[in-house]
This record gives sequence, structure tokens and C-alpha cells, in this order.
Amino acid sequence: MSVSRLPEGGAGSLVKCVVWDLDNTLLRGIYLESLPQRPPADPAMAGLLAKLGKRGIVHAIASKNPSEAAEYAAQATGCEFVAAECGWDRKSQSLARIAAVLNISVDALAFVDDDPYERAEVGSALPGVRVLSPEDAAEAVDWPEFSPAGVTAEARRRADLYQRRRHRLDAEREFGGSREEFLRACATQVTIAAAQDEDVPRLHELSERTSQFNSAGEALSAESIRALIGSPARDVMTVRLQDCFADDGLVGGCVIDRRHVRVWTVPLLMMSCRAMGRGVIDALLTWLARSAARQRAAALQVPCARSDRNVPLRLALASAGFRACADQAAGGGRAVFRCELGVPWPALPDWVSAPGGS
Amino acid sequence: MSEPKGRGAAWTEERGTSDEGRRRLTAPRRRAEDTAIADELRHVLAGATGRSELLRITLDTPLFGTAVALDSLTGTLLLREVRHRFGVDVAREDLNLDALATLGTLAAFVSQRTPLTAGSG
Repeated sequence: MSVSRLPEGGAGSLVKCVVWDLDNTLLRGIYLESLPQRPPADPAMAGLLAKLGKRGIVHAIASKNPSEAAEYAAQATGCEFVAAECGWDRKSQSLARIAAVLNISVDALAFVDDDPYERAEVGSALPGVRVLSPEDAAEAVDWPEFSPAGVTAEARRRADLYQRRRHRLDAEREFGGSREEFLRACATQVTIAAAQDEDVPRLHELSERTSQFNSAGEALSAESIRALIGSPARDVMTVRLQDCFADDGLVGGCVIDRRHVRVWTVPLLMMSCRAMGRGVIDALLTWLARSAARQRAAALQVPCARSDRNVPLRLALASAGFRACADQAAGGGRAVFRCELGVPWPALPDWVSAPGGS
Repeated sequence: MSEPKGRGAAWTEERGTSDEGRRRLTAPRRRAEDTAIADELRHVLAGATGRSELLRITLDTPLFGTAVALDSLTGTLLLREVRHRFGVDVAREDLNLDALATLGTLAAFVSQRTPLTAGSG
């Protein structure tokens, strides 16, 4: 299949979240020094917030201010912030915490601050972060890393979905039972289905944005996906997820190559990190194994890029009983994870609906 | 994870300054360290999963099996914490993640890659 290679993080890869300073950046003035009045939002920066938001890029705050300042900034700019780190820590630590809360790599962050000291601190501690002055930011929004190819329904709702994710995490922390019980309690629904033409933009976007759960380590163009949907002995599958907190829409997918009837290959397996810990990847692997076994394949294999970033995917594969064998054709940077289908697989949990039933 | 990395450090200090620790030969000391590593891993697992009953699992408990039910989320938290506390990058060294078979295999994997406690020899 024809693929365009994405750089491994750093300059060039897509920015998922912009972290903003407040004093003299998002706000025209210094919050604490202006009290009891409060400085107005900088209209140029508020414009950038809205522009990037429409592209599915979310915003966060890292500010050396009390936490009320973040609430005020949301009100003054009219923009939603998915995370706010207010305090007197180093900003690189604030950014690392924001990335952890959102479950994205720090390399997917950009940071805007008027203070050259803060920019230097973040730039040296976290070299993968795009560090910008407010003046640079106005120009940078037209750089490719701030310009995802297509803007999907999921992308437009991204900020909202991150908020709902936070509510779900809070609920899970308070929930006493096991993860499975929690998934059941919040009416989790996973739907696996054959991809339709209208799913192509979102599948392409997922192939570009996912890294923790992406077996290929490469983006797959919309044309390639469209071509695969119509190809004989290939399947492109979608995975949708919803529960009582949110309808996350299309969160994952895979490409199946059935040209070798005895050994099915999955050249691309991917899932949004927002769906992590919600039983999605395990459901997909179980469905794949059961479908392959039903059609008398003896083994299922997933070629996988070896990187530090897709360790969560390797954990899912290891947990499902896949084993790596060296991939001669592709060299040392890849491995093929393989699973023999002799032993019967457990049935899919009843909250998963998929072709072929459970 | 709420627990800071201090626990390991505090333990090493204790072990390192106790007279008993000083008198020990390498082999028994290694065994004692293995026990302590396993204990610390139990705490990490309990923290990652929010389940305190994991503080009592035995060395032969499978991590992917039903008792612990490690998944990609809790597994990632576990590996991250192991890297922070012990400086051992399991994912980088172990493609198949065989080290995660049981609590005991993970403790042994970490133990083989950490130097004996400094200051006690």
C-alpha cells in the first residue's frame, strides 16, 4: 500500500494541543498586578484559539498564577481549555503533566509564552515541543503541523470529548469494582463494522494522529484506504465507542489482508489513545482472531513498527497472546507479532457488536 | 500515580546503613533485594490499578491473567513507573514483554539490571 512516512515526533508531526501562558500572552496585561480589575483577552490570540479549535486542536494553560486565572481566561477568551496547570513549578513540568492528563506525547504539544526565559526552559527540557512567542504563533498556525489534512466530526468535538473523558476518569477513580465492571456500569458499547466510504477521512486522520496504538507507524492516505475498501481479500474495519459519558465516534480501525488464506495479516491496527483502558483494543484483537479462526486460518499476524511510542499496543498484543518473530523483509526496525489460532478464543463481551456475532 | 518515587530510595538507605546489611554476603543480599523489588512492584501495581488487594499477590501470579488483568493502560503505567524507580526500560529490552509473565519474572528482570545497593559493601 502507498503510505506517506510521518516524522518520529518533533518538528513536522501534528500538534494536538497548544499550551498557553496567560500574562501578556493570552491576556493583555498581568493578572495579579491588574487586580481588582482584570486584564482583557488579547484579541489576536483569542482569534488564534478559535481558529485552531476549528481544526480539532485543543488548548491548555500553563501559568504562574492562582487557578482562578485559568477560569477567568476561559471566560475572557470564550474558549474551552482541556487542562490548566496553574502554580509556580517549572513550565516544562506543567507541560509534562498536561501531556500525561491528555494521554498524548509531549511532542504533540506547542507552547506559547511571551517570556523568553520560559520558552528557553521548556525548549531545553522538552526538545520535542514547538516553542513559540505570541508573535510567532500568529504565523505558525499556517505551518503544516498546525494544519491537519481533513477536519472530521470527531476533530470538531475533540475539546468536548476530552472534558467528558475527565469526568469518566473521575468516576472510575471513585468506582469500587474492577475495570470490566466499570465498563459495564457506564454502558460501554463497542461496535466493529466494515468501513464505508464516508469513514475514510476519519480513518485517514486516525492513521496520522495515532502513535501509542498504531502498528504501522506510518500514515495511510485517504486514497489508499478507499482503494483497500474495494479490494478483494482485504477488509477495512472501523471501531466505534460510546458510553453514558460520551459518544466518542470512530476511535479505531484496522486493515485485514486475507490473500494468504492460512495466515491473515493485519498491516494496520490503530486506535485513538482516548479509547485506552476501555476494552476496545482487546475487543478488536479478539474479534480478529475469532473471525480468522472461523474462516479456517491457522494464524493471525500483526507486523509492527518497533518504537518506544507504541509500547501500549505491544502490551495489548502480549496480553492477547501474540509473540514476536523477526521480520526478515522489513529489517530490524519492525517485528511481526503472531498468534496461532489452534486454541479457542474467549467470546466477545456482550457490549461488543461485530459482524459474525460474538 | 499518587505515590512518589521516594519509597525505593528510603528503603535503600535503610538497607545501606544497617549493620546487618553490611555483614551480608552478595548472594543473600541479592535475594533480600529481590524480595524488596517484588514488594515495591506490588505497590506500583496496586497504584496503577487502584486495587489494594494486589499488595498481597504471590511471585507466581500471572500479570496478564485474571487476578491482575494487566491491560495496555495499567501496563503502560507499570512500565513507566519501573523505568522511573529502577531505571530499567523493560519495553526497550524485551520485545515480547516476557518479563511481565508473573510478578516474579518482572522482579528478577529488574533485579538483574539494577546494581546492588551502593554503600552496603
